[in-house]
Amino acid sequence: MKKIVLCRCEDTTLADLEHCVARGYCDLEEVKRYTGFGTGPCQGKECLGPVGLALARLTGSAVRPFTSRPPLSPVPLRLLASDPAAYRFADDPPEPDRAEPAEPDDAATSTREGA
Amino acid sequence: MSRRLPHAASSRGLPVELSVAGATVRGFAGESVAAAALAGGVRVLSRSLKYHRPRSAFCMEGHCGGCLMRIDGAPNRRACQVPCASGLVAEGQNAFPSAEHDLLGAVDFVFARGLDHHTLMTSSSLLNAMAKKVVRQLSGLGTLPAAPAVELPPVPTHRVEVAVIGGGAAGLAAARAAAEAGAATLLVDDQLVPGGSLRADPLLGPAVADDAIAAATDAGAILHAATTAIAFFPEDDGGVLVAASERQARRVVARQWVWATGGYPVMLPIADNDRPGVLALRAATRLLLQHGILVGGAICVLTDPRLWAEAEVAAAALRRAGAEVTLLEVAQAEQILGRKAAQAVALRDGRQLDCDAVLLAALPSPATEGPRQQGCAVELSERAGGFALVVDADGRTTVPGVWGCGDVCGYRGPAAAAAEGARVGASAARAALGAAS
Repeated sequence: MKKIVLCRCEDTTLADLEHCVARGYCDLEEVKRYTGFGTGPCQGKECLGPVGLALARLTGSAVRPFTSRPPLSPVPLRLLASDPAAYRFADDPPEPDRAEPAEPDDAATSTREGA
Repeated sequence: MSRRLPHAASSRGLPVELSVAGATVRGFAGESVAAAALAGGVRVLSRSLKYHRPRSAFCMEGHCGGCLMRIDGAPNRRACQVPCASGLVAEGQNAFPSAEHDLLGAVDFVFARGLDHHTLMTSSSLLNAMAKKVVRQLSGLGTLPAAPAVELPPVPTHRVEVAVIGGGAAGLAAARAAAEAGAATLLVDDQLVPGGSLRADPLLGPAVADDAIAAATDAGAILHAATTAIAFFPEDDGGVLVAASERQARRVVARQWVWATGGYPVMLPIADNDRPGVLALRAATRLLLQHGILVGGAICVLTDPRLWAEAEVAAAALRRAGAEVTLLEVAQAEQILGRKAAQAVALRDGRQLDCDAVLLAALPSPATEGPRQQGCAVELSERAGGFALVVDADGRTTVPGVWGCGDVCGYRGPAAAAAEGARVGASAARAALGAAS
Protein backbone atom coordinates (compact mmCIF):
# COMPACT_ATOMS: atom_id res chain seq x y z
CA MET A 1 0.00 0.00 0.00
CA LYS A 2 1.02 3.61 -0.55
CA LYS A 3 3.59 4.54 2.07
CA ILE A 4 6.40 7.10 2.20
CA VAL A 5 9.12 5.22 4.04
CA LEU A 6 11.60 7.20 6.14
CA CYS A 7 13.24 4.34 8.04
CA ARG A 8 13.57 1.19 6.01
CA CYS A 9 14.77 -1.05 8.87
CA GLU A 10 11.75 -0.38 11.10
CA ASP A 11 9.19 0.46 8.40
CA THR A 12 8.64 3.95 9.83
CA THR A 13 6.70 6.20 7.46
CA LEU A 14 6.19 9.94 7.13
CA ALA A 15 2.59 9.35 8.32
CA ASP A 16 3.98 7.66 11.49
CA LEU A 17 6.14 10.72 12.14
CA GLU A 18 3.19 13.09 11.69
CA HIS A 19 1.03 10.90 13.97
CA CYS A 20 3.80 10.90 16.57
CA VAL A 21 4.17 14.71 16.47
CA ALA A 22 0.37 15.08 16.68
CA ARG A 23 0.48 13.05 19.91
CA GLY A 24 2.99 15.51 21.32
CA TYR A 25 6.29 13.70 20.87
CA CYS A 26 8.43 16.35 19.23
CA ASP A 27 11.97 15.50 20.35
CA LEU A 28 14.05 13.12 18.21
CA GLU A 29 14.68 10.79 21.19
CA GLU A 30 10.93 10.68 21.86
CA VAL A 31 10.19 10.05 18.20
CA LYS A 32 12.72 7.23 18.22
CA ARG A 33 11.10 5.61 21.25
CA TYR A 34 7.57 6.03 19.87
CA THR A 35 8.09 4.94 16.26
CA GLY A 36 11.19 2.77 16.59
CA PHE A 37 12.91 4.65 13.77
CA GLY A 38 16.70 4.44 13.87
CA THR A 39 16.71 1.32 16.07
CA GLY A 40 17.16 -1.24 13.29
CA PRO A 41 20.29 -2.79 11.83
CA CYS A 42 21.41 0.49 10.20
CA GLN A 43 21.11 2.37 13.53
CA GLY A 44 19.91 5.55 11.85
CA LYS A 45 22.46 5.80 9.05
CA GLU A 46 19.76 6.12 6.43
CA CYS A 47 17.00 7.76 8.44
CA LEU A 48 18.48 10.06 11.11
CA GLY A 49 19.16 12.93 8.69
CA PRO A 50 15.86 12.77 6.77
CA VAL A 51 13.77 12.24 9.95
CA GLY A 52 15.63 15.08 11.69
CA LEU A 53 14.96 17.42 8.78
CA ALA A 54 11.31 16.34 8.49
CA LEU A 55 10.84 16.85 12.23
CA ALA A 56 12.42 20.31 12.09
CA ARG A 57 10.03 21.22 9.26
CA LEU A 58 7.02 19.86 11.18
CA THR A 59 7.80 21.45 14.54
CA GLY A 60 9.81 24.50 13.47
CA SER A 61 12.16 24.02 16.41
CA ALA A 62 15.79 23.01 16.79
CA VAL A 63 16.43 19.25 16.59
CA ARG A 64 19.27 17.41 18.26
CA PRO A 65 20.36 13.91 17.17
CA PHE A 66 19.66 10.86 19.32
CA THR A 67 22.52 9.31 21.26
CA SER A 68 24.86 7.22 19.14
CA ARG A 69 25.60 3.88 20.81
CA PRO A 70 27.88 0.96 19.94
CA PRO A 71 27.95 -1.02 17.79
CA LEU A 72 27.68 1.54 14.98
CA SER A 73 27.42 -1.21 12.38
CA PRO A 74 26.33 -4.84 12.44
CA VAL A 75 29.16 -6.98 13.81
CA PRO A 76 29.32 -10.75 14.38
CA LEU A 77 29.05 -11.31 18.15
CA ARG A 78 31.81 -13.92 18.13
CA LEU A 79 34.37 -11.21 17.31
CA LEU A 80 33.56 -9.45 20.58
CA ALA A 81 32.98 -12.65 22.55
CA SER A 82 36.60 -13.63 21.91
CA ASP A 83 37.97 -10.62 23.77
CA PRO A 84 38.23 -10.91 27.58
CA ALA A 85 38.24 -7.10 27.86
CA ALA A 86 34.73 -7.07 26.41
CA TYR A 87 33.43 -8.69 29.60
CA ARG A 88 34.84 -5.97 31.84
CA PHE A 89 33.76 -2.41 32.51
CA ALA A 90 35.88 0.54 33.58
CA ASP A 91 34.42 0.57 37.10
CA ASP A 92 34.70 -3.21 37.67
CA PRO A 93 36.93 -4.26 40.61
CA PRO A 94 40.41 -5.47 39.58
CA GLU A 95 40.63 -9.00 38.23
CA PRO A 96 41.36 -11.74 40.79
CA ASP A 97 44.91 -13.05 40.78
CA ARG A 98 44.88 -15.91 38.30
CA ALA A 99 48.10 -17.36 39.69
CA GLU A 100 46.34 -18.14 42.98
CA PRO A 101 46.47 -21.93 43.53
CA ALA A 102 43.11 -23.64 43.33
CA GLU A 103 41.99 -27.25 43.24
CA PRO A 104 41.02 -28.17 39.67
CA ASP A 105 37.52 -29.17 40.82
CA ASP A 106 36.98 -25.87 42.64
CA ALA A 107 38.49 -23.67 39.93
CA ALA A 108 35.19 -22.43 38.56
CA THR A 109 33.74 -21.74 42.03
CA SER A 110 36.74 -19.86 43.35
CA THR A 111 36.91 -17.62 40.26
CA ARG A 112 33.28 -16.70 40.77
CA GLU A 113 33.87 -15.89 44.44
CA GLY A 114 36.94 -13.87 43.60
CA ALA A 115 35.15 -11.70 41.01
CA MET B 1 16.03 -5.29 -17.28
CA SER B 2 19.38 -5.04 -15.62
CA ARG B 3 22.26 -6.52 -17.57
CA ARG B 4 26.01 -6.92 -17.70
CA LEU B 5 27.90 -4.87 -20.24
CA PRO B 6 29.97 -7.05 -22.58
CA HIS B 7 32.89 -4.63 -22.76
CA ALA B 8 33.52 -4.99 -19.02
CA ALA B 9 34.00 -8.78 -19.36
CA SER B 10 37.80 -8.60 -19.50
CA SER B 11 38.02 -6.84 -16.12
CA ARG B 12 35.84 -9.38 -14.28
CA GLY B 13 37.11 -11.98 -11.83
CA LEU B 14 36.51 -15.70 -12.14
CA PRO B 15 32.87 -16.75 -12.56
CA VAL B 16 31.09 -18.40 -9.62
CA GLU B 17 27.61 -19.85 -9.19
CA LEU B 18 25.56 -19.05 -6.10
CA SER B 19 22.00 -19.32 -4.87
CA VAL B 20 20.14 -16.09 -4.06
CA ALA B 21 16.53 -16.13 -2.79
CA GLY B 22 16.00 -19.52 -4.39
CA ALA B 23 17.43 -18.63 -7.81
CA THR B 24 20.76 -19.76 -9.17
CA VAL B 25 22.76 -16.75 -10.34
CA ARG B 26 26.15 -16.27 -11.85
CA GLY B 27 28.49 -13.86 -10.17
CA PHE B 28 32.14 -12.97 -10.49
CA ALA B 29 34.87 -12.96 -7.87
CA GLY B 30 35.15 -9.43 -6.49
CA GLU B 31 31.43 -8.72 -6.76
CA SER B 32 29.05 -8.72 -3.82
CA VAL B 33 26.11 -11.10 -3.51
CA ALA B 34 23.71 -8.17 -4.01
CA ALA B 35 25.51 -7.07 -7.20
CA ALA B 36 25.27 -10.59 -8.63
CA ALA B 37 21.58 -10.74 -7.64
CA LEU B 38 20.83 -7.44 -9.38
CA ALA B 39 22.75 -8.49 -12.50
CA GLY B 40 20.98 -11.86 -12.45
CA GLY B 41 17.50 -10.33 -12.34
CA VAL B 42 16.66 -11.36 -8.74
CA ARG B 43 14.61 -8.40 -7.60
CA VAL B 44 13.20 -9.28 -4.15
CA LEU B 45 15.88 -10.27 -1.62
CA SER B 46 13.96 -10.11 1.67
CA ARG B 47 10.88 -8.67 3.35
CA SER B 48 10.67 -5.75 5.73
CA LEU B 49 10.30 -6.13 9.48
CA LYS B 50 6.82 -4.75 10.10
CA TYR B 51 4.74 -4.60 6.93
CA HIS B 52 6.56 -7.37 5.06
CA ARG B 53 7.12 -5.09 2.10
CA PRO B 54 9.42 -6.49 -0.60
CA ARG B 55 12.97 -5.25 -0.22
CA SER B 56 16.21 -5.27 -2.14
CA ALA B 57 19.53 -3.47 -2.26
CA PHE B 58 19.36 0.33 -2.27
CA CYS B 59 22.70 1.87 -1.28
CA MET B 60 25.17 -0.92 -2.20
CA GLU B 61 27.43 0.44 0.55
CA GLY B 62 26.25 -1.61 3.54
CA HIS B 63 24.50 1.34 5.13
CA CYS B 64 20.78 1.03 4.48
CA GLY B 65 19.64 -2.38 5.72
CA GLY B 66 17.78 -3.03 2.47
CA CYS B 67 19.58 -6.23 1.49
CA LEU B 68 19.77 -8.15 4.78
CA MET B 69 19.78 -11.88 4.05
CA ARG B 70 20.56 -15.14 5.73
CA ILE B 71 23.86 -16.10 4.10
CA ASP B 72 25.36 -19.55 4.60
CA GLY B 73 23.29 -19.96 7.76
CA ALA B 74 24.18 -16.62 9.39
CA PRO B 75 21.27 -14.17 9.71
CA ASN B 76 21.12 -10.44 8.91
CA ARG B 77 24.17 -10.22 6.69
CA ARG B 78 24.33 -7.35 4.25
CA ALA B 79 24.28 -8.96 0.82
CA CYS B 80 25.99 -5.91 -0.70
CA GLN B 81 29.02 -6.42 1.58
CA VAL B 82 29.42 -10.19 1.25
CA PRO B 83 31.67 -11.27 -1.63
CA CYS B 84 30.34 -13.83 -4.11
CA ALA B 85 31.61 -17.36 -3.66
CA SER B 86 30.88 -20.63 -5.38
CA GLY B 87 28.13 -22.57 -3.62
CA LEU B 88 27.16 -19.64 -1.39
CA VAL B 89 23.50 -19.74 -0.32
CA ALA B 90 21.68 -16.46 0.39
CA GLU B 91 18.09 -16.78 1.64
CA GLY B 92 15.40 -14.15 2.11
CA GLN B 93 14.35 -13.23 5.65
CA ASN B 94 11.04 -12.35 7.36
CA ALA B 95 9.05 -14.14 4.72
CA PHE B 96 6.78 -17.16 4.45
CA PRO B 97 7.10 -19.17 2.26
CA SER B 98 9.56 -17.01 0.26
CA ALA B 99 10.69 -13.40 -0.15
CA GLU B 100 9.08 -13.27 -3.60
CA HIS B 101 5.73 -14.70 -2.40
CA ASP B 102 5.24 -13.80 1.26
CA LEU B 103 1.79 -14.48 2.73
CA LEU B 104 2.55 -12.07 5.58
CA GLY B 105 2.68 -9.33 2.94
CA ALA B 106 -1.05 -9.05 3.74
CA VAL B 107 -0.04 -7.00 6.81
CA ASP B 108 0.83 -4.11 4.48
CA PHE B 109 -2.73 -4.11 3.11
CA VAL B 110 -4.53 -4.72 6.41
CA PHE B 111 -2.68 -1.78 7.96
CA ALA B 112 -2.79 0.37 4.83
CA ARG B 113 -2.72 3.57 6.85
CA GLY B 114 0.01 2.44 9.23
CA LEU B 115 0.21 0.52 12.46
CA ASP B 116 0.75 2.18 15.85
CA HIS B 117 1.88 -0.66 18.10
CA HIS B 118 1.26 1.51 21.19
CA THR B 119 -2.49 1.55 20.59
CA LEU B 120 -2.94 -1.75 18.72
CA MET B 121 -5.91 -3.62 20.29
CA THR B 122 -5.47 -1.80 23.60
CA SER B 123 -9.22 -1.18 23.86
CA SER B 124 -9.74 -4.72 25.13
CA SER B 125 -7.34 -6.54 27.45
CA LEU B 126 -8.26 -9.91 25.90
CA LEU B 127 -7.63 -8.72 22.35
CA ASN B 128 -4.44 -7.05 23.52
CA ALA B 129 -3.11 -10.28 25.04
CA MET B 130 -3.90 -12.14 21.82
CA ALA B 131 -2.32 -9.44 19.66
CA LYS B 132 0.85 -9.55 21.76
CA LYS B 133 1.07 -13.32 21.29
CA VAL B 134 0.77 -13.02 17.51
CA VAL B 135 3.17 -10.09 17.27
CA ARG B 136 5.78 -11.95 19.33
CA GLN B 137 5.59 -14.86 16.90
CA LEU B 138 5.98 -12.57 13.90
CA SER B 139 8.49 -10.03 15.12
CA GLY B 140 12.27 -10.18 15.16
CA LEU B 141 14.72 -9.87 12.35
CA GLY B 142 15.87 -13.18 10.89
CA THR B 143 16.35 -16.34 12.93
CA LEU B 144 19.37 -17.44 14.95
CA PRO B 145 22.26 -19.27 13.26
CA ALA B 146 21.92 -23.04 13.04
CA ALA B 147 25.28 -23.66 14.71
CA PRO B 148 27.42 -21.81 17.25
CA ALA B 149 30.50 -19.93 16.03
CA VAL B 150 33.70 -21.92 16.37
CA GLU B 151 36.36 -19.43 15.44
CA LEU B 152 37.05 -16.76 18.08
CA PRO B 153 39.96 -14.68 16.77
CA PRO B 154 42.01 -12.57 19.23
CA VAL B 155 41.67 -8.77 19.14
CA PRO B 156 44.95 -6.97 18.31
CA THR B 157 45.67 -3.36 19.36
CA HIS B 158 47.13 -0.87 16.87
CA ARG B 159 48.91 2.14 18.38
CA VAL B 160 49.38 4.90 15.82
CA GLU B 161 49.90 8.64 15.60
CA VAL B 162 47.07 9.38 13.20
CA ALA B 163 43.99 7.21 12.69
CA VAL B 164 41.79 7.98 9.69
CA ILE B 165 38.26 6.59 9.60
CA GLY B 166 36.84 6.32 6.11
CA GLY B 167 38.72 5.56 2.88
CA GLY B 168 36.97 7.75 0.33
CA ALA B 169 38.37 10.78 -1.43
CA ALA B 170 38.91 12.73 1.81
CA GLY B 171 40.20 9.85 3.94
CA LEU B 172 42.68 8.50 1.38
CA ALA B 173 44.08 12.00 0.83
CA ALA B 174 44.29 12.57 4.60
CA ALA B 175 46.08 9.25 5.20
CA ARG B 176 48.54 9.98 2.40
CA ALA B 177 49.28 13.48 3.70
CA ALA B 178 49.65 12.30 7.30
CA ALA B 179 52.00 9.48 6.31
CA GLU B 180 54.04 11.76 4.04
CA ALA B 181 54.43 14.15 6.98
CA GLY B 182 56.03 11.29 8.91
CA ALA B 183 53.18 10.17 11.15
CA ALA B 184 52.46 6.49 11.74
CA THR B 185 49.07 6.35 10.04
CA LEU B 186 46.30 3.78 9.99
CA LEU B 187 43.18 3.98 7.85
CA VAL B 188 40.08 1.82 8.25
CA ASP B 189 37.40 1.66 5.57
CA ASP B 190 34.18 -0.30 5.72
CA GLN B 191 33.81 -1.16 2.02
CA LEU B 192 35.07 -4.34 0.34
CA VAL B 193 37.37 -2.05 -1.65
CA PRO B 194 38.23 1.47 -0.40
CA GLY B 195 37.64 4.48 -2.61
CA GLY B 196 34.23 5.62 -1.35
CA SER B 197 32.19 7.75 -3.71
CA LEU B 198 35.20 8.11 -6.06
CA ARG B 199 34.22 4.68 -7.37
CA ALA B 200 30.73 5.91 -8.17
CA ASP B 201 31.76 9.19 -9.79
CA PRO B 202 31.63 9.05 -13.61
CA LEU B 203 34.13 11.94 -13.89
CA LEU B 204 36.70 10.31 -11.56
CA GLY B 205 35.92 6.61 -11.19
CA PRO B 206 37.70 3.47 -9.98
CA ALA B 207 41.04 4.36 -11.61
CA VAL B 208 41.32 7.53 -9.53
CA ALA B 209 40.33 5.55 -6.42
CA ASP B 210 43.02 2.94 -7.13
CA ASP B 211 45.61 5.71 -7.58
CA ALA B 212 44.59 7.30 -4.27
CA ILE B 213 44.94 3.93 -2.49
CA ALA B 214 48.37 3.36 -4.03
CA ALA B 215 49.49 6.88 -3.07
CA ALA B 216 48.40 6.40 0.55
CA THR B 217 50.05 2.99 0.93
CA ASP B 218 53.21 4.12 -0.91
CA ALA B 219 53.50 6.96 1.59
CA GLY B 220 53.48 4.35 4.37
CA ALA B 221 49.89 4.44 5.60
CA ILE B 222 48.40 1.10 6.65
CA LEU B 223 44.97 0.40 5.16
CA HIS B 224 42.41 -2.06 6.47
CA ALA B 225 39.53 -2.57 4.03
CA ALA B 226 36.15 -4.09 4.91
CA THR B 227 36.81 -2.90 8.48
CA THR B 228 34.09 -0.81 10.06
CA ALA B 229 34.46 1.51 13.04
CA ILE B 230 31.87 0.07 15.43
CA ALA B 231 32.51 1.88 18.71
CA PHE B 232 34.59 4.53 20.43
CA PHE B 233 35.30 4.08 24.13
CA PRO B 234 36.69 7.35 25.56
CA GLU B 235 37.35 5.91 29.03
CA ASP B 236 39.94 3.31 28.01
CA ASP B 237 43.59 4.02 27.18
CA GLY B 238 42.95 7.69 26.33
CA GLY B 239 40.27 6.63 23.85
CA VAL B 240 39.94 3.37 21.95
CA LEU B 241 38.26 2.86 18.61
CA VAL B 242 37.02 -0.65 17.92
CA ALA B 243 36.84 -1.58 14.26
CA ALA B 244 35.74 -4.93 12.90
CA SER B 245 35.64 -6.90 9.69
CA GLU B 246 33.61 -10.09 9.29
CA ARG B 247 36.58 -12.04 10.64
CA GLN B 248 38.52 -9.78 12.94
CA ALA B 249 37.95 -7.03 15.48
CA ARG B 250 40.77 -4.53 16.16
CA ARG B 251 41.45 -1.90 18.81
CA VAL B 252 42.91 1.35 17.54
CA VAL B 253 44.60 3.87 19.85
CA ALA B 254 45.72 7.12 18.20
CA ARG B 255 47.08 10.55 19.13
CA GLN B 256 44.94 12.28 16.51
CA TRP B 257 41.71 11.13 14.91
CA VAL B 258 40.49 12.12 11.46
CA TRP B 259 36.87 11.37 10.58
CA ALA B 260 36.38 11.11 6.82
CA THR B 261 33.28 8.93 6.85
CA GLY B 262 31.44 10.86 4.14
CA GLY B 263 27.69 10.70 3.78
CA TYR B 264 25.12 7.96 3.35
CA PRO B 265 22.80 7.72 0.34
CA VAL B 266 19.27 8.28 1.65
CA MET B 267 15.77 8.00 0.24
CA LEU B 268 13.69 10.88 -1.07
CA PRO B 269 10.15 11.33 0.29
CA ILE B 270 8.00 9.87 -2.51
CA ALA B 271 5.34 7.22 -1.95
CA ASP B 272 6.63 3.64 -2.14
CA ASN B 273 10.24 4.77 -2.24
CA ASP B 274 11.30 1.44 -0.72
CA ARG B 275 10.38 -0.79 -3.66
CA PRO B 276 12.97 -3.16 -5.10
CA GLY B 277 14.35 -1.55 -8.24
CA VAL B 278 14.64 1.80 -6.46
CA LEU B 279 18.31 2.43 -5.86
CA ALA B 280 20.50 5.33 -4.88
CA LEU B 281 21.86 6.99 -8.01
CA ARG B 282 25.34 6.51 -6.55
CA ALA B 283 24.67 2.76 -6.20
CA ALA B 284 23.80 2.54 -9.90
CA THR B 285 26.90 4.42 -11.07
CA ARG B 286 29.00 2.35 -8.66
CA LEU B 287 27.65 -0.87 -10.20
CA LEU B 288 28.23 0.51 -13.68
CA LEU B 289 31.78 1.78 -13.15
CA GLN B 290 32.99 -0.94 -10.79
CA HIS B 291 31.35 -4.05 -12.22
CA GLY B 292 29.94 -3.15 -15.63
CA ILE B 293 26.39 -3.80 -14.42
CA LEU B 294 23.60 -1.61 -15.81
CA VAL B 295 20.65 -1.62 -13.38
CA GLY B 296 17.91 -1.06 -15.95
CA GLY B 297 17.01 -0.55 -19.59
CA ALA B 298 14.56 2.31 -18.94
CA ILE B 299 15.71 4.35 -15.97
CA CYS B 300 14.00 7.24 -14.20
CA VAL B 301 16.37 9.42 -12.17
CA LEU B 302 14.70 11.57 -9.49
CA THR B 303 16.99 14.18 -8.03
CA ASP B 304 17.17 16.82 -5.37
CA PRO B 305 17.44 20.05 -7.44
CA ARG B 306 20.69 20.90 -5.62
CA LEU B 307 22.32 17.84 -7.18
CA TRP B 308 21.04 18.49 -10.72
CA ALA B 309 24.51 18.91 -12.26
CA GLU B 310 25.81 15.67 -10.66
CA ALA B 311 22.64 13.82 -11.69
CA GLU B 312 23.06 14.99 -15.29
CA VAL B 313 26.59 13.61 -15.39
CA ALA B 314 25.39 10.28 -13.97
CA ALA B 315 22.44 10.14 -16.39
CA ALA B 316 24.80 10.71 -19.31
CA ALA B 317 27.01 7.84 -18.15
CA LEU B 318 23.99 5.52 -17.89
CA ARG B 319 22.84 6.60 -21.38
CA ARG B 320 26.28 5.89 -22.83
CA ALA B 321 25.99 2.38 -21.36
CA GLY B 322 22.78 1.88 -23.34
CA ALA B 323 19.93 2.84 -21.00
CA GLU B 324 17.06 5.18 -21.76
CA VAL B 325 17.22 7.75 -18.98
CA THR B 326 14.66 10.35 -17.88
CA LEU B 327 15.94 12.90 -15.39
CA LEU B 328 13.40 14.71 -13.23
CA GLU B 329 13.33 16.81 -10.10
CA VAL B 330 11.90 14.80 -7.24
CA ALA B 331 9.05 17.27 -6.72
CA GLN B 332 7.58 16.16 -10.06
CA ALA B 333 7.09 12.59 -8.83
CA GLU B 334 4.14 11.38 -6.77
CA GLN B 335 4.57 7.64 -6.35
CA ILE B 336 6.68 4.72 -7.50
CA LEU B 337 4.40 2.06 -9.00
CA GLY B 338 4.85 -1.66 -9.51
CA ARG B 339 3.57 -5.05 -8.40
CA LYS B 340 6.65 -5.73 -6.31
CA ALA B 341 9.58 -4.06 -8.02
CA ALA B 342 9.43 -0.59 -9.60
CA GLN B 343 7.66 -0.56 -12.99
CA ALA B 344 6.66 3.09 -13.37
CA VAL B 345 6.73 6.52 -11.75
CA ALA B 346 3.43 8.37 -11.34
CA LEU B 347 4.03 12.07 -11.87
CA ARG B 348 2.16 14.88 -10.18
CA ASP B 349 0.82 16.13 -13.52
CA GLY B 350 -1.01 12.82 -13.96
CA ARG B 351 1.39 11.28 -16.45
CA GLN B 352 2.93 7.89 -15.87
CA LEU B 353 6.49 7.10 -16.81
CA ASP B 354 7.24 3.42 -17.45
CA CYS B 355 10.66 2.26 -16.29
CA ASP B 356 12.41 -0.75 -14.79
CA ALA B 357 14.63 1.13 -12.35
CA VAL B 358 14.22 4.33 -10.34
CA LEU B 359 17.34 6.05 -9.09
CA LEU B 360 17.21 8.58 -6.24
CA ALA B 361 19.76 11.37 -5.88
CA ALA B 362 19.47 12.92 -2.41
CA LEU B 363 22.12 14.90 -0.56
CA PRO B 364 24.22 12.28 1.25
CA SER B 365 23.40 12.32 4.96
CA PRO B 366 26.64 12.96 6.95
CA ALA B 367 27.99 9.85 8.69
CA THR B 368 28.51 11.38 12.12
CA GLU B 369 27.64 8.57 14.56
CA GLY B 370 31.33 7.84 15.20
CA PRO B 371 32.39 11.43 15.93
CA ARG B 372 29.19 11.85 17.99
CA GLN B 373 30.43 9.02 20.23
CA GLN B 374 33.65 10.95 20.65
CA GLY B 375 31.63 13.95 21.79
CA CYS B 376 31.97 16.09 18.67
CA ALA B 377 29.24 18.64 18.03
CA VAL B 378 27.01 18.23 14.99
CA GLU B 379 24.53 20.59 13.42
CA LEU B 380 21.30 19.85 11.55
CA SER B 381 21.03 21.69 8.26
CA GLU B 382 19.02 21.34 5.07
CA ARG B 383 22.15 22.19 3.11
CA ALA B 384 24.05 19.26 4.65
CA GLY B 385 21.17 16.79 4.23
CA GLY B 386 21.26 15.90 7.92
CA PHE B 387 23.48 16.33 10.99
CA ALA B 388 26.86 17.55 9.75
CA LEU B 389 30.05 17.43 11.80
CA VAL B 390 30.94 20.92 13.04
CA VAL B 391 34.53 21.88 12.07
CA ASP B 392 36.50 25.13 11.94
CA ALA B 393 38.33 26.40 8.84
CA ASP B 394 41.26 24.04 9.57
CA GLY B 395 39.07 20.96 10.03
CA ARG B 396 39.17 20.86 13.85
CA THR B 397 36.04 19.48 15.50
CA THR B 398 34.86 20.71 18.90
CA VAL B 399 36.91 17.94 20.61
CA PRO B 400 40.72 18.39 20.86
CA GLY B 401 42.67 15.90 18.76
CA VAL B 402 39.67 15.09 16.58
CA TRP B 403 39.40 16.33 12.99
CA GLY B 404 36.87 16.08 10.21
CA CYS B 405 37.08 16.39 6.43
CA GLY B 406 34.98 15.69 3.36
CA ASP B 407 31.26 15.02 3.13
CA VAL B 408 30.91 14.17 6.84
CA CYS B 409 31.03 17.96 7.33
CA GLY B 410 28.33 18.50 4.67
CA TYR B 411 28.26 17.57 1.00
CA ARG B 412 31.21 18.83 -1.08
CA GLY B 413 31.76 16.10 -3.65
CA PRO B 414 34.91 13.99 -4.09
CA ALA B 415 37.23 16.55 -5.72
CA ALA B 416 36.76 19.16 -2.98
CA ALA B 417 36.80 16.44 -0.31
CA ALA B 418 40.22 15.19 -1.50
CA ALA B 419 41.76 18.67 -1.32
CA GLU B 420 40.33 19.18 2.16
CA GLY B 421 41.50 15.72 3.27
CA ALA B 422 45.08 16.47 2.23
CA ARG B 423 45.13 19.68 4.29
CA VAL B 424 43.55 18.10 7.36
CA GLY B 425 45.75 14.99 7.20
CA ALA B 426 48.89 17.15 7.20
CA SER B 427 47.58 19.25 10.10
CA ALA B 428 46.69 16.13 12.13
CA ALA B 429 50.17 14.72 11.53
CA ARG B 430 51.80 17.97 12.71
CA ALA B 431 49.64 17.91 15.84
CA ALA B 432 50.47 14.24 16.51
CA LEU B 433 54.22 14.67 16.01
CA GLY B 434 54.28 17.94 17.96
CA ALA B 435 52.59 16.21 20.88
CA ALA B 436 55.15 13.41 20.68
CA SER B 437 58.25 15.60 20.94
